[in-house]
Amino acid sequence: MNPRHQPAASPPHSAPEEILRQPERLARWLIQRAARHSGPALSARLEEEWLADLAVQRRGFSRLRFAIGCCWATRVIAHEHAGLGVPVGSSATGNGLAVALAHQDPSLFSRRTIVFLIIVGLHVLVIYAFANGLVRKVIEVIEQPPLVGFVSHPAPPDPVPQLTETNFPTPPLTPPWHELTPIVDPEEPAPSNDTAPQPWQGPPLPAPPTGAVNRVLGGPGRGFPDTDQYYPVASRRIGEAGIATVRVCVDDNGRLASEPSIAHSSGSVRLDEGALKLARAGSGHYRTTTENGRPVSFCYPLNVRFELRP
Amino acid sequence: MSLQTLRVLEAFLENPTDELAGADVQKRGQLASGTLYPILLRLESAGWFVSRWEAVEPSSIGRPRRRLYRLTPSGLRRASEVFSTFGRGVLA
Repeated sequence: MNPRHQPAASPPHSAPEEILRQPERLARWLIQRAARHSGPALSARLEEEWLADLAVQRRGFSRLRFAIGCCWATRVIAHEHAGLGVPVGSSATGNGLAVALAHQDPSLFSRRTIVFLIIVGLHVLVIYAFANGLVRKVIEVIEQPPLVGFVSHPAPPDPVPQLTETNFPTPPLTPPWHELTPIVDPEEPAPSNDTAPQPWQGPPLPAPPTGAVNRVLGGPGRGFPDTDQYYPVASRRIGEAGIATVRVCVDDNGRLASEPSIAHSSGSVRLDEGALKLARAGSGHYRTTTENGRPVSFCYPLNVRFELRP
Repeated sequence: MSLQTLRVLEAFLENPTDELAGADVQKRGQLASGTLYPILLRLESAGWFVSRWEAVEPSSIGRPRRRLYRLTPSGLRRASEVFSTFGRGVLA
């Protein structure tokens, strides 16, 4: 800025005048800053010109609005004159005609280019993380809670109540529903090795009714969905595997007679949910249990094995 | 040619021999400073205007010098052609 056009020191101002001077100071600062960004050839000229025009604006926020407009003008001028030889008339010092180069960004990379490169870099980083399994490791760290917790002096264990049948009242089953040890039909193998009836490992079941009954337990039949289709993606990604036991009640048409439930958890909520979805999807594709060759409705545990395959 | 540029030219055509500072053009044309100064520089670069510093001593008047713009003869002719094409009523 030309030092000649610095206003003389002004006397102290009253409070209202001081308040009015704040926008004016800000306006001057904005204009000086904007003019500097217009490039070395134009900065002195624009600063002096704009400060002179600022002085004739109405005081207060009109000056601030004028200065903000000058900031915008700088951007437009720098954009239009970048890289071009622009005759700008007399120089700021008034000594004849000067043809100057307008503002050119001296740095190798403009701000926009740097932002673009940062965005590209972030994308490359994310793709690299997916490709190299870093994301999987992160998920493992996030998903699995730490095995070691705070250790405190162990309190004496509470007496564990003895579980008896009265602790778990079960609704009485009416024929033809039975809870029996499942029997796998050796003559008709299941289509998938992952879903096979397994011996019941829960509380002891009531004894079967007396009498010779040739019972062939049902299981996954023809068209039963493949376990892999219901392997949770998140579990597969973090290498989670296990066996979930689902209690299914199948009618004499091979359809689910009631909502399946988890009889024995795999240890993973995701795998349990996947097993339930599989059991529901298989409705209509179960082999029916037969007694003496006659299809009957029956409840039995169905083991669903989720295992990773290479 | 934009409406804002026409307003700038119209401000000068009121009295083509006048020298106007940016603030004068701003008042006459009702233009924002962010619009006005790029237009002035653009027209000056194109040879429509010439500009000079106000012949005063800043220390004596207590403010910076104003930059005064004036239409060149070719600028006056071209501006007149523009307005004869569009008609002055375009800015009304």
